[in-house]
Amino acid sequence: MSENIKFTVNGNELEAKSGELLIEACENSGIHIPRFCWHKRLEPVGMCRMCLVEVETPRGKALVPSCTTEITEDLVVETESEVVTKAQEGILEFLLINHPLDCPVCDKAGECPLQDQTMAYGPGESRFVEEKRHFEKPISISEIILLDRERCILCARCTRFSDEISGDPLIEFIQRGNKTEVNTFPDEPFRSYFSGNTVQICPVGALTSTSYRFKARPWDLKKVSSTCNCCSVGCSIELNTSQNKMLRILGEDNEFTNQGWLSDKGRYNFDYLHSENRVLNILNKSEDSFNEISISEAMTKIKNKIDELDNPNVKFLLGSSSTNEEYFVINEIGNYLNKDKFLSRDSSNIYFGDDLLFEGYFGDQYSQAKLEDLDNSETIVVWAEDIKDNLPILYLRIKKAVKNGSKLIVFGHTNTSIAGLADFYFGADIVSNKFELIRNPNEIEDLKNNIEGKKVTVIAGKSTVFQKKESLDKLINFLNEKSELQVFNAFSKGNTFGALQNIDEVKGLNEFCNEFDTNAKNIVFTIGVNPVNSSFFGQKIKEKLIASDFVISLDLFVNETTELADLILPTTSLGEKEGTVTNMEMRVMKQNKILPAPGSTLSEWEYLSSILNVLGEDVNYKNENEINNYLSEKYINQEKLPTFDNLNKPSNLFGVINKKDININIKDLEEDNFSLLMVRRLYGDSSTQINSPSISMLGAHKFIELNSTTAKKYGINSKVGNLIQGPNSILINIDINEYLPDDLVIAPINRRGFENIDPCLDFDITEAKNREELNVN
Amino acid sequence: MSWDSKLIDRAKEIIELYPQKRSALGPLLYLAQEKEGYIDDDSVVEISKLIGITEVQVRSVASFYTMYKQEPSGKYLLSVCKSISCEINNSKEVIDNIKEFTGLANNETDIESTFTFEEVECIGACGGAPAVQINYETVEGVTPTKALELCKYLKEEVPEVIVADELQDKFGGTKSFDWAIEDNSGTSSTAPGFQIIGTSEEK
Amino acid sequence: MKETLLLTKHMRENPENSHLIEVYEKNNGYSAARKVFKENNPGDVIEEIKTSNIRGRGGAGFPTGVKWGFLAEDEERYLVINADESEPGTFKDRILLERDPHQLIEGIIVTSFASNISKAFIYIRGEYAKPARRVQDAVEQAYEKGYLGKNIFDSGKDLDVVVHLGAGAYICGEETALLNSLEGRRGEPRLKPPYFPAVKGLYNKPTLVNNVETISSVPWIINNSGKDYAKLGVEGSTGTRIFSLSGHVNTPGNFEIEMGCSFGEFIDNFGNGIKENKSVKAYIPGGASAPWFTGEQLDIKMTIDDVANAGSMLGSGAVVVMDEDTNLVLAAKSIVSFFAHESCGQCTPCREGTTWLEMILERIASGRGRTSDIDLLLDVCDNISPGLAWPPQMTTICPLGPSAVSPITSLMGSFREEVESLLPKKVLINNE
Repeated sequence: MSENIKFTVNGNELEAKSGELLIEACENSGIHIPRFCWHKRLEPVGMCRMCLVEVETPRGKALVPSCTTEITEDLVVETESEVVTKAQEGILEFLLINHPLDCPVCDKAGECPLQDQTMAYGPGESRFVEEKRHFEKPISISEIILLDRERCILCARCTRFSDEISGDPLIEFIQRGNKTEVNTFPDEPFRSYFSGNTVQICPVGALTSTSYRFKARPWDLKKVSSTCNCCSVGCSIELNTSQNKMLRILGEDNEFTNQGWLSDKGRYNFDYLHSENRVLNILNKSEDSFNEISISEAMTKIKNKIDELDNPNVKFLLGSSSTNEEYFVINEIGNYLNKDKFLSRDSSNIYFGDDLLFEGYFGDQYSQAKLEDLDNSETIVVWAEDIKDNLPILYLRIKKAVKNGSKLIVFGHTNTSIAGLADFYFGADIVSNKFELIRNPNEIEDLKNNIEGKKVTVIAGKSTVFQKKESLDKLINFLNEKSELQVFNAFSKGNTFGALQNIDEVKGLNEFCNEFDTNAKNIVFTIGVNPVNSSFFGQKIKEKLIASDFVISLDLFVNETTELADLILPTTSLGEKEGTVTNMEMRVMKQNKILPAPGSTLSEWEYLSSILNVLGEDVNYKNENEINNYLSEKYINQEKLPTFDNLNKPSNLFGVINKKDININIKDLEEDNFSLLMVRRLYGDSSTQINSPSISMLGAHKFIELNSTTAKKYGINSKVGNLIQGPNSILINIDINEYLPDDLVIAPINRRGFENIDPCLDFDITEAKNREELNVN
Repeated sequence: MSWDSKLIDRAKEIIELYPQKRSALGPLLYLAQEKEGYIDDDSVVEISKLIGITEVQVRSVASFYTMYKQEPSGKYLLSVCKSISCEINNSKEVIDNIKEFTGLANNETDIESTFTFEEVECIGACGGAPAVQINYETVEGVTPTKALELCKYLKEEVPEVIVADELQDKFGGTKSFDWAIEDNSGTSSTAPGFQIIGTSEEK
Repeated sequence: MKETLLLTKHMRENPENSHLIEVYEKNNGYSAARKVFKENNPGDVIEEIKTSNIRGRGGAGFPTGVKWGFLAEDEERYLVINADESEPGTFKDRILLERDPHQLIEGIIVTSFASNISKAFIYIRGEYAKPARRVQDAVEQAYEKGYLGKNIFDSGKDLDVVVHLGAGAYICGEETALLNSLEGRRGEPRLKPPYFPAVKGLYNKPTLVNNVETISSVPWIINNSGKDYAKLGVEGSTGTRIFSLSGHVNTPGNFEIEMGCSFGEFIDNFGNGIKENKSVKAYIPGGASAPWFTGEQLDIKMTIDDVANAGSMLGSGAVVVMDEDTNLVLAAKSIVSFFAHESCGQCTPCREGTTWLEMILERIASGRGRTSDIDLLLDVCDNISPGLAWPPQMTTICPLGPSAVSPITSLMGSFREEVESLLPKKVLINNE
């Protein structure tokens, strides 16, 4: 199908794949055809007409748009003929007659295709003497996006993105002809998890981000490629800074992962780097308040404390934002302080802060999936926490695969947001409210028929901390036996897979609580993790931390967890450190440094190796590169190591997939009587988000979901109500979701207002007056 | 205003006519226009729920077509054709007279909500130029003087149902062709007098 | 010179009640439908249409039988009747809808039989509320009789017909825009290729899109024969055609004639000459999109090919006559405004260019023109339709943008002085 054929451009014979678009084929041969509406990740629409070229037809030469014309054998094309040039100049003039001359105040100026092409191909002066088209200057179409309709050239990139790619068509053409504009529906703004992509692909300054508005000129920006750590997809990004401030994050087109797109969280969650709340000096708790001390004082204090406590238990609570190099050093110090030196020598002392982590499906019997496998899968099966909220770009890849013909099977009850996309959604008749399979997989005809003997990719994970893995095991093993299966372990948080690859044995927060011996002497390290705020075990952990003899937090902010520490060691974050991260495909990618470490902050590995030093251990890591070489030695395939050197090679810029043994030791929770299903949403009250003003408000929406039968049971008819539990009462929006089974109520965890809600205690929902009525009164 | 169950049942009946729900969007927009005199936001929300597309998608389609009004219209929508055959047959004077009588500029509605005036493109009555439509009922060969009389009649008599044949007899002139068939059907709203199901009941 | 009544015969003979099914049947109505079901050979029907050489009456003039032959195999296929008659000057489909709806329905039944279609749509422009009512009434009568619905004419075949009202968008007369509109989308023309409706049409299924007049001709062809039909008119323009005559003639109207006479004869005979005995300054031979002919070109023959050879098109069969006193700048402006108003807005040249042309013409017409405006007009036109040739080259997806160029090239070609007289005289300065 994709054999090469010959065609001629401007007298030169070229080769391309049959069926390839002319604009792309020319691009691949180094011939640039100007364009505005065409974007390689979107369906062509041929609207702007800038890419017109001349082709020879049986009826003579004809102007055709190169973005909708497929290459055919012996096609003869002129891209620079007089006719073509005249037509392109004409298009530019048409585009400019109504385009405001506000480049001096436009964010896009300097990287604006319209501006660039006007310089290259445009007319010298305007022949248009009439009044330009006017619209109200920028209007907010969401909390984070502004729209300036005067600048818009109606290329349909934003509308196509939201319709085709993200599947939430909330921005559209309104009116027609010369009055056409893009806009949103007044009561339903551009509330999409992916809205920032439209800003990035807008070829003019019509769509802009509130966070970047008037902040910088492109020519003042310093840029470096890196990898996003907001979830475990590991999107390729470009960090843009100016005067040592992060100003913008853009998506890079990594064919294997994000294909150019980012979630809005990945794109906009960076203001925190420069937050005034950020801890920039070491904080030492004396009595009830923190005071600043120096690094040497801190090290002395740690050494003295360890000596004083005489063989304490030392435990590490980890977050997901460390680099592989940092996890490697954490593992070193963990082993040293545990197996080599202190108590409880027979057990790991490293606990990972993700309630949904469990043993997963690794080992030789399971083939680990890659994102590109989705495109080749006949069927995709999902049973995990909400993919759209927690692995947003994985959701886009699933959507793309489904659009291209893959079947999608979704098991309940957390992925109702993709139920509409699914060929089969298995709700209450197949999955119990406790997330057990009611029917055996081989009895489910629609499942069987679509997986037997087929290429299948499964996205498997726990939907709630209470879920037992038995049913999940049953499903995965059934699929593994009957189909050609690739498995994604849907551990969604940041660099989880980096932690799993670089730490000998990983345990969970429940294990931490159970193994914590209140009678012993205890030292706890918390590293980039805030379980008190975000975990089901939060209250218990809080008690343990209070009961500890010494708590050391390596983190960015004083938060619900670190405020319990005796010592806070301020660390570096995205763009301030170099290292690697591993995504859910086991693809190792590079994070690069572009900002200096602010204040007295140091990287986690620097603190930890200093601690090893003061304790008398002879470690002397010079830099991340050296650590990276050590950790690379342990990869199974020694041919393709994710060393910095290798990752910086052009062929490996988008990462290297390699394996290590993974050892997770987490048991099912005994408890499974929960009354409220608390799930993680894209936005929440993480320390980074609440300290990023441009997106902090996105985590403020309070709502629950339930089906109409359940709503009836609570006697609710309105869209607004109160969630009541003991002394707590939260004003909430009530979203009716008919995909949910009876008696299951979903609420967000880690969101303002819900922090005191216990999913295991009874609650009530009462009707409140309609919010609009409240406003009127 | 949101839709009552009767209207929703009617909408569902219309949706059934089509192989795909979205095709019913046009007819459903006419239901809204018939009810409210324009495409109001509440109807957009109702329609988006009924056919499973977003509100802005509904608005996007509605705003593409000139007959789906985006602002409330008066009781009588006066549409005067200004395309070529009417243009060369003095439609300008018809327009000027109606503007003067109603005090309205193009696409305006009076305070009493009696008239909405609009200049429109070809309405397929070129042989009967200049032609006008009252609530999409065609009257042909309307002289500037007759146009004034027509406005006066509507203002004073306030007919509930607009019947083309009746107005043609009173205010029309040259027709595009012999209408021949006696017809007393018409419309009582600013949506065209046509029902996709049971149109004969509309009188 | 007389009319040849095929399509308009029944309505002429039964003026008061031609729309009723019983009257239609009394006059041999639905005999073509009965005939094809009795003979039960769809291939023969298509052959008969091919033999008739009838060409589409919507404007493009594509051979109907060939179009039917293109229809791809699929379980789901559709027939869509294009009754979105909106080309300024045209009102021929309106009379067929209003006064002989059963003839159209019978044509639909025969066409659907020939192409194994069980769902048809009649897309009628929104401004045709009354014609739509008539057609809907007729459809309901046909359902009652068992001519539509399940097991029609006891043939074992089903056929449903839905009358769908447009909502004010000329562009929906373009068949792919019409399909988008019928799918509940904006009426924007689709990219071509790959979307030939006969291959990928409504809901991406094979779809026949035919004009009202074309399908209304089908019963006559079946009742008589393709051969008999082909004997009428001239080669390449067989059969009769309903021309809409409007403008400054004494008796405007629809006239069904065999193609082949000259425009002058047609205007004199049926229009009874020009009002107040004036002379013809210019006329439009085939709807607003067509380039104009001058009063000196009245002997051009009314056939598809003759008109094309003379640099215009027979298009929708709408003849608009402009007398000696017509202000042609205003006439051109009216047509350009029409296209600017009806541009869907997808393609930059059409969206921006047509409005710009309108603005320049407005300026000239109101005495605010500049000496450079003629060059500007022509250059803007050239950027919409490169070379200003006929048939037009296009920088756009569909021909709407280039249609706005036709009146300007016509104006500049034969009536340039009329434009120049409105512009300030060119002042020569020293170094020129």
